[in-house]
Amino acid sequence: MDELDFAVRYPFSPEAKAALDSRATQLNESIVLMASERIKRALKGESGKSAALHESDKVNEIASFAAARMLLAFLNNRFITNKFAVSESKRVSAYLDSERDESVITRVGHELGFVAEKQGASYLVPIPVYLMFCRRDPNYKLINREIRNGHVVVSPHERVRLMEEAARKRIERVPLLKDPPKIVSDAGKRLIAELPKSDLPQIQVKPGDYPPCIIKLLDSVKKHENLNHQARWFLCVYLMAAGMGDEELVGLYSNLPDFSERITTYQVQHARKKAYTVPACATVTTWGFCCADCRIGSPLYWRGKGVPR
Amino acid sequence: MNANEIVLSTFRKYYEDAEFDIPSIEQREFGIGNRKKIDSRHLNFATTAEFRSYLVSNTPLFVSFSTGYYRYPGATPMQKKAWTGADLVFDLDIHAEGKYGAYALLDKVKADAIRLMDMLKDDFGISGKEIHVNFSGNRGYHVHVRDRSYLEIGSDERKEIVDYIMGIGLDYRAFFELDDKKPNDRIARGPRPDECGYRGRFSRAVMAELANDPKSISRVFAKEETRKRLIDGIKAGNWNSQPFKVSDFLGRLAPIAAKLGLSSVNTDAGVTQDLSKLIRVPESVHGDTGLIAKKISDIDKFEPFRDAMMKLPGSGSLRLRFIEDVPQLVLAGEIVGPFRKDEEKEFEKSAALFYVLKGSAEIKE
Repeated sequence: MDELDFAVRYPFSPEAKAALDSRATQLNESIVLMASERIKRALKGESGKSAALHESDKVNEIASFAAARMLLAFLNNRFITNKFAVSESKRVSAYLDSERDESVITRVGHELGFVAEKQGASYLVPIPVYLMFCRRDPNYKLINREIRNGHVVVSPHERVRLMEEAARKRIERVPLLKDPPKIVSDAGKRLIAELPKSDLPQIQVKPGDYPPCIIKLLDSVKKHENLNHQARWFLCVYLMAAGMGDEELVGLYSNLPDFSERITTYQVQHARKKAYTVPACATVTTWGFCCADCRIGSPLYWRGKGVPR
Repeated sequence: MNANEIVLSTFRKYYEDAEFDIPSIEQREFGIGNRKKIDSRHLNFATTAEFRSYLVSNTPLFVSFSTGYYRYPGATPMQKKAWTGADLVFDLDIHAEGKYGAYALLDKVKADAIRLMDMLKDDFGISGKEIHVNFSGNRGYHVHVRDRSYLEIGSDERKEIVDYIMGIGLDYRAFFELDDKKPNDRIARGPRPDECGYRGRFSRAVMAELANDPKSISRVFAKEETRKRLIDGIKAGNWNSQPFKVSDFLGRLAPIAAKLGLSSVNTDAGVTQDLSKLIRVPESVHGDTGLIAKKISDIDKFEPFRDAMMKLPGSGSLRLRFIEDVPQLVLAGEIVGPFRKDEEKEFEKSAALFYVLKGSAEIKE
């Protein structure tokens, strides 16, 4: 693969910056417009591979990623930034899944601070690297993983998932932008005006009504962080038991960067129909969501504890 | 001199000759305490010499330093300190009935500290040179890890390591691959004793249980031949040399799995997860006991009530009157006490201060 194609696929890489620098690419209206479109697609949860054929298209596409980051810096909106990071990291992982050349994957990993050493059909990832990029998910829980002298054994598929998370974290880190060029600030204002109000949700949660594990998850939702399935399920089942309605729940989940109204509505209704019971503290701990030592047995027994005497 | 003055002048005398080895001291925040463990924090020192001379002139009862490293350790509020990383620190201790109950159980905490250090080396691949252990000065041990690759990990990652050490969320059944065709009767592959991490640890623990207390798993294993066949199988990852259904057999192993984690990691205070925690400075004195938070080079041989006492040659003794009953203690292999309320007795100075600081005795002028 040539450097330019690499840069199109992995626009956060130094190769991308070099591609723009060597061609003295200037920020212009059309690049900023492409950047806005790129962000809008991310907000809709669409993340497609590149369709650029000609060199100039490829360069513009790389530039649109850089411009999108400037826009995000100007907007300074966590929800939009996180959605963009989720969408772009999914694009990265789609490319990684299709890479045949092992050295490309190693190069991308290196750029993301991710290292893995091939051993047989698996990969060995140093524990601190693994912990930084693994999902909070029972399948990824360190204690149940095969460990070899400071490394976690992961499958090729898991390696790509870890790199996706590394890419998400990288892209989420938007630089500070003190004096944005006028075309960026203008485009930013236009973008905000174009977004329907409902795309920028706000949630209201009364503090003190919920146990610490639920508060922590709600905080994550508020910050538009990506929660795993188990976390969403636990939060949903708990809040249902606490009397929250379906519509309110779907509204809450619209804060998540990969929100889909159709899927969430289905899952919330499904959970309601199944009438799941709230998991006990022991289970919550196993899943890694316990963050306090309340000794109440079940998160449900919290009710009332938070009320000041 | 009143008791408080005697205590502080003794601490001061100790600090005059104390040797500190605090890596990157200039990047750490310090806190001192007299009424509480930490009354004031955000202090910083450029060198250990400066730190020691501070302790000599402003002798506190407690002194702690940050596990975290900062660009500006003295800046306030916390955000302005510019955090650059933190040691990975574990606080091991034990709680027991009564003021003195924990001291009888310190050997158990020591055993856990040894297991922790083994886990850090074997599972996490951390070099022994990067692992530092010290007595806490009271009811336990602190383990400080200074491996560069762990310095920058965040709070959630550290929590995951604590869960690992404590055995939280262990699903030992997942170590067993069941046979596709007969999942109820055959285990295709199970953990071998030579494997790393909990797989090997679990496998070895089952083998040890079979050797030491086979009947706790089942009466079947009382017969040496039966038990030997299973042990030999396990060595090669074959767990089928037993007569049970898979789920029944694995169920019988649950109590063994439950004992694999370390129970004395103190999670209440979140020491490991807290990226800006202050913790007792190794080689400083603990104001609740007068014992030194002694750095330990050979933990197997360490005895807190022998090795962590302040050495105060020629400082004489003190006569105490007990103000409450104190149970008999075994301190460094010696039986001490019990003492009754109002009993008077003369002690060597550092031993005397232990009872005074515990609030059990007063100094007789």
